[in-house]
Amino acid sequence: MTNDRRRATARRTPRLAVDLRDALGLTGTLVKYLSASALVPAGVAILYREPFWPFLAAGAIAFAAGLGLERLGRHSHGVGFREGYLVVALTWLLAAVFGAIPYLLSGEPQLDGPVNAFFESMSGFSTTGASILTNVDTVDHSLLLWRQFTQWLGGMGIIVLALAVLPRLRVGGRQLLDSEMAGPETDPLADRIRTTARRLWLLYIALTVALAAILVVFGVVGVDHRMGLFEGVSVALATMPTGGFMPTSGSLADFAAASQWVVVVFMLIAGVNFALVYRALVRRRWRSVGADEELRLYLGILLVASVALVAEIWSDGLAEGEAALRHGVFQVVSITTTTGFASTDFGTWATFALMLLLGLMFVGGSAGSTGSSVKVVRHLLVARSLRRELRQTLHPEEVMPVRLNGLVVQEKTLRGVVAFVLLYIGLFVIGAGVVAVDTAVQGPTISTIDAIAAAATSLGNVGPGLGVAGPFGSFASYPDVSKLTLAALMWLGRLEIIPVVVLMTRHYWRVR
Amino acid sequence: MTARTTATILRRDIAETVATRRQSTRLRVYPAPAVKIFVIGAGQVGTTIVEALHGEHDVTVLDLDPARLAAISQRFDVATLEANGASRRALADAGVRNADLVLACTSRDEANLVAGTFARLEAPRATTVIRTSNVEYIELWRQGQLDVDFVVSSEIETAHAIARVIGVSAAVQSDVFADGQVQLVEYDVTEGASREILGRPLREATVPPDSRLAAIIRDGTMTLPRGDDAILPGDRIVVIGSPRAATAWGKVLAPWEAEVEDVVIFGAGRVGTAIARQLLEQGIGVRLIEENRERARVVAEAFPRARVYNASGLDPDFLERERIGYADAAVFAMREDAKNHYVATLARIHGVTFTIAIVHDAISRQVYQHAGIDVQVDPRQVTAEEIVRFAHDPRTQQVAMLENDRFEVLDLTTRPTSEYVGLRFREMPIRGALIGAIVRDGQAVFPRSDDTLQAGDRVIVFTESERVPDVERVL
Repeated sequence: MTNDRRRATARRTPRLAVDLRDALGLTGTLVKYLSASALVPAGVAILYREPFWPFLAAGAIAFAAGLGLERLGRHSHGVGFREGYLVVALTWLLAAVFGAIPYLLSGEPQLDGPVNAFFESMSGFSTTGASILTNVDTVDHSLLLWRQFTQWLGGMGIIVLALAVLPRLRVGGRQLLDSEMAGPETDPLADRIRTTARRLWLLYIALTVALAAILVVFGVVGVDHRMGLFEGVSVALATMPTGGFMPTSGSLADFAAASQWVVVVFMLIAGVNFALVYRALVRRRWRSVGADEELRLYLGILLVASVALVAEIWSDGLAEGEAALRHGVFQVVSITTTTGFASTDFGTWATFALMLLLGLMFVGGSAGSTGSSVKVVRHLLVARSLRRELRQTLHPEEVMPVRLNGLVVQEKTLRGVVAFVLLYIGLFVIGAGVVAVDTAVQGPTISTIDAIAAAATSLGNVGPGLGVAGPFGSFASYPDVSKLTLAALMWLGRLEIIPVVVLMTRHYWRVR
Repeated sequence: MTARTTATILRRDIAETVATRRQSTRLRVYPAPAVKIFVIGAGQVGTTIVEALHGEHDVTVLDLDPARLAAISQRFDVATLEANGASRRALADAGVRNADLVLACTSRDEANLVAGTFARLEAPRATTVIRTSNVEYIELWRQGQLDVDFVVSSEIETAHAIARVIGVSAAVQSDVFADGQVQLVEYDVTEGASREILGRPLREATVPPDSRLAAIIRDGTMTLPRGDDAILPGDRIVVIGSPRAATAWGKVLAPWEAEVEDVVIFGAGRVGTAIARQLLEQGIGVRLIEENRERARVVAEAFPRARVYNASGLDPDFLERERIGYADAAVFAMREDAKNHYVATLARIHGVTFTIAIVHDAISRQVYQHAGIDVQVDPRQVTAEEIVRFAHDPRTQQVAMLENDRFEVLDLTTRPTSEYVGLRFREMPIRGALIGAIVRDGQAVFPRSDDTLQAGDRVIVFTESERVPDVERVL
């Protein structure tokens, strides 16, 4: 081969390993279709005689941006394995930007700056539920519903929705779905991804409708006087995605005990693998569902933590009888499933209770649920790997496969799980450090432990933190750097870290 | 009681067991008229079969290797034919349509399956038996999807033979039926037996589940026990039940004897894993040692209850570190006999007191014996014995003889016309026989008094020898 030819071949090799045009094209398509979601709050605005143009304008901007990206890139319905990560990360980032536009355009004074609006929007799409709003009651209904609706969209996932609804969208096989769905291995409901995505969304919609109907009926028959149609729908839209936004101040504290118990049940379901929920509710295979090891551990953790918390608040005299039981169980389920609702201002509880709840932020829901954080199955697999390592020190030659539900877990999956947990801890430490330093520079209102809780609650997509950012408080007083850091943690947490972090590596962009 | 003494007791029992078995010969030779038998494959299994059958029957041997055929025809008075048993034309030319029994026992599973299928087409009335080690074929046959009468697997027969030796510690004699799902065990009752069972009327005694007390032999007379009979010291009892129940009976009758808990198997090949599966089914702990890393991984994944090591039995440090010497028994099931021999010797040095080795070459039996290996099991020998069993009554799958041929255990399939079909077990007239277990759809069931017998059930019947014709007639 001559030197000239070699040079010619070298020139033809693209410097970038990622096909940017493909990735941007698909991202544009996804954003373009997502812009249609602005019609929902616009409709609500018309209903409540509130200004609807911020939503239409936001929709138009997103549509134009999507169209622009689509034109800029290649109009593509399929991307490769490598591009998939960029599509997922970028789509979610742009979704949060799009979600922030109505807050800015509406001129709502509490969400005036772009940082505040972006924080609120990312908190919505990532189903975190941490809010800037200090007084919810003065905010327009349509804006509040938009908040709830972004959570609902973010819960089951934008790309899963696109897969279910959009025609001829073939986004890189399972990998896109896997990077948006929670857990180390998603359990397919059907052979075809499209069918899986449809079943997931239908089940999700059905559960949301069921919860809204129950709550609205409670309001109508007088079980819960504060529960109207708007409140009932809002609660349902934030419960199923384990979101945690509320259109009323004081979260769920002012609603009736019956409503709170119903919400506990649905939070519990939202934290279960939807494949299991589908098998239980649709296929009625209760026995196989009941034998699931992740589900058992999930319920076990909830039970033990609830007992501990109920005992703590009862003995502290914060509540008694049914109220103690309800507040204990509610807070444990809400924090563990990463919903973030509160049935009472638990920010005033004793240190033990707060530390327990802070710890539960790292548990998370089950794989394949809408809950975030580390997830129960990863705790289970890490524990089993560690047990194996300990046994291996005594029996170096023994071959010990790690099993889950009787099936052998691939070593590759185990490595991925351990890597995830380490990355999770690493990001939490970095995030907490940045927030702690930043808030300390700004003044003494936010303690270091509050900063740590803020990082934990953001990365875990939980919602409430400690101190001023407690369940009835807000993140308004956090400085801008902290807000952006927390928003980044939410983004990382929702996409389960890897799709975002992999973009930061040199190998992602370069061939060699 | 330490592992060492247990193993000593165990070894003595086995010596007795083996002796009893030799005397009573498990193979029942029916005074039936000579039948025409085709043996396909003249390897070691084929030769052993010919040796057992050539005396009373008209045997034809098919093989592609003239040297093997020559060796057989020199030793036995049989017809030999150099032909491919897996060819339909060759089978037709050999006159297979006159055969009563076709035994396909080459070392190749597929050839045996094809031969069995063609034999069925050429001679629809002949009983066909094929040898296979393919688990899939065995499962298909159990589900009734394979059109051959019987399937025999060297690996499974070997596993049964070894499980008989180490499985049931208090037993005098034991036998398995229905692919190891049903076990028949004879026990000698002593004063040391548990009070929960000794001297109590049976309806009050705690009998291990999934088992039936088939008979009590007292002062030379056998009784089929009823609810008000009791087990007394000095009795010999016969129990039919699941492998687990057999172990449970052993524990009840000889509570002082520590259970076999830990068996080390060297070599996790097909034989090794078949042994492991059988022992695990009886509730015995198994440690498997496999040199090949990939094979060790596959076996570890397939056997959640076994412990699998990726190590060499030749490594004395490993044997020491894992305390292999504490095992109740060690089985050497590696492919090379020389290696089995060496590793067994090394294991004995490390303190293993009871050793069982697989024989692949006939001469190894003597080598093993010389090296002090306690039991030698030859898979081909065991397989041949199993196949020969089918040469007798085509309907009887297995016959065991007890107490010097006074009692027999029959494994029969009920005819739809049988007067017992549809009856509840408690309504059946007792005619000196007892149904210990039934095999329905490939699964062993231990009947309760209100279960009913169905046509096509395989029944395991315990009876006196002189009543065998009656039992065969009514069922």
